[in-house]
Amino acid sequence: MIPTFDYKTPKTLREACHQLWEAGGKAKVIAGGTDLVIGLRNGNQNPQLLIDIAHLKELRGIEESDGILSVGAAVSHSEIASSSLVRQFGGVLSDAASEIGSPQIRNLGTIGGNIVNASPAADSLPPFLVLNATGTVVSQKGEREVSVADLIRGPYETALQPHEILARISFKKLSPEIRTSFVRLARREAMAIARMSVALLVRMEEGRVRDIRIAPGAVLPIPQRLEEVEKCLMGKSIDEALLRSASRKVSEVMINRSGVRPSTSYKAPVVEALFVRAMRLALAG
Amino acid sequence: MEIEFTLNGKLIQVDVPPHWTLLRLLREKLGLTGTKEGCGIGECGACTVLLDKIPVNSCLVLAPKVEGRSVETIEGVGSRTALHPLQQSFMDHGAVQCGFCTPGILMSAKALLDRNPHPTKEEVKGAISGHLCRCTGYQQIVEAIEKVSEV
Repeated sequence: MIPTFDYKTPKTLREACHQLWEAGGKAKVIAGGTDLVIGLRNGNQNPQLLIDIAHLKELRGIEESDGILSVGAAVSHSEIASSSLVRQFGGVLSDAASEIGSPQIRNLGTIGGNIVNASPAADSLPPFLVLNATGTVVSQKGEREVSVADLIRGPYETALQPHEILARISFKKLSPEIRTSFVRLARREAMAIARMSVALLVRMEEGRVRDIRIAPGAVLPIPQRLEEVEKCLMGKSIDEALLRSASRKVSEVMINRSGVRPSTSYKAPVVEALFVRAMRLALAG
Repeated sequence: MEIEFTLNGKLIQVDVPPHWTLLRLLREKLGLTGTKEGCGIGECGACTVLLDKIPVNSCLVLAPKVEGRSVETIEGVGSRTALHPLQQSFMDHGAVQCGFCTPGILMSAKALLDRNPHPTKEEVKGAISGHLCRCTGYQQIVEAIEKVSEV
């Protein structure tokens, strides 16, 4: 049973910011609600006021301009998965959005919500990290740009102030020679939280790696890129031996950052295999 | 709070506390108990209804969210004397055992066929991938939906 609260449906983002500011930390914003309603139900969230931002036009739509793709925070996973713009200019995000939760969850849940919920297993975070995506954060006090990497502070913890709203997420449109991939492993194919994932972006030039970005999901307390592994691959031509040594580096970095856990003996070889699969998929694409 | 929305094609006004879910509103206030509560946390799909023609978990939708929108439940599909083709096909194929997941699956299947009358088997499986059925093993359900998509 969910305890009671007040509910407001502002007409503009400005009005929403004002209501949130006035509430002084006692309000939460709600978009899709797929995480928040569960939090309300199990008592992890106890707001006195909910401010519904799902319909605000400032938070809607997928737009391109000047080489930048901008996705509204209240765009649903389904909308992202079916967007030809995202498919063309940020394929790694399409791949992840089409695998989040279930069809019903993808119809309700929003991309901004997936970011600010900051689950270590959030499917959108590894893609946004390899896209070097930036969030536009607005409040009564103004607007600021912050990289998605800096937005996430810890498991379920963000750099947002209680009065701030994530409004849009943007990234540089990928050019056609850039290859990406997203691979995901869960207990079953549909409707399960990711056990592990790998998002990857690679640009080859004359057979050598000119740019590479690797971000695993659900194996680090905070989704991060694996710069150590990226460095191993930069400038090299890819062969089986290099893939194997890079994959060992992936699990090594995971253990360095997350420590040895009961799940490590399972996760280490599996994250290595996922990385290799992601590399092959990207290079074949 | 007072909300107004279209329920199974009819515009209605209802007074509902904002912390009620759509599922609770449907079952406890509007008497539409065809929509089932399974897990209550968006994992099983039993409570699926169509919101503006799109399948959603009604256990995760707070009632105020449907203001001005259109909700379709299993009670809006077919009638006692004229079953929807999907309902008839589920009976013909033995796609129902305990029946608890059935209303939700029918809503997802209907949404699929309404926008894509001739889906592939993979598309049928994808459309019902947000539903758990612990009785049938899905085979008969997929067959029942495929049969309707052929005609």
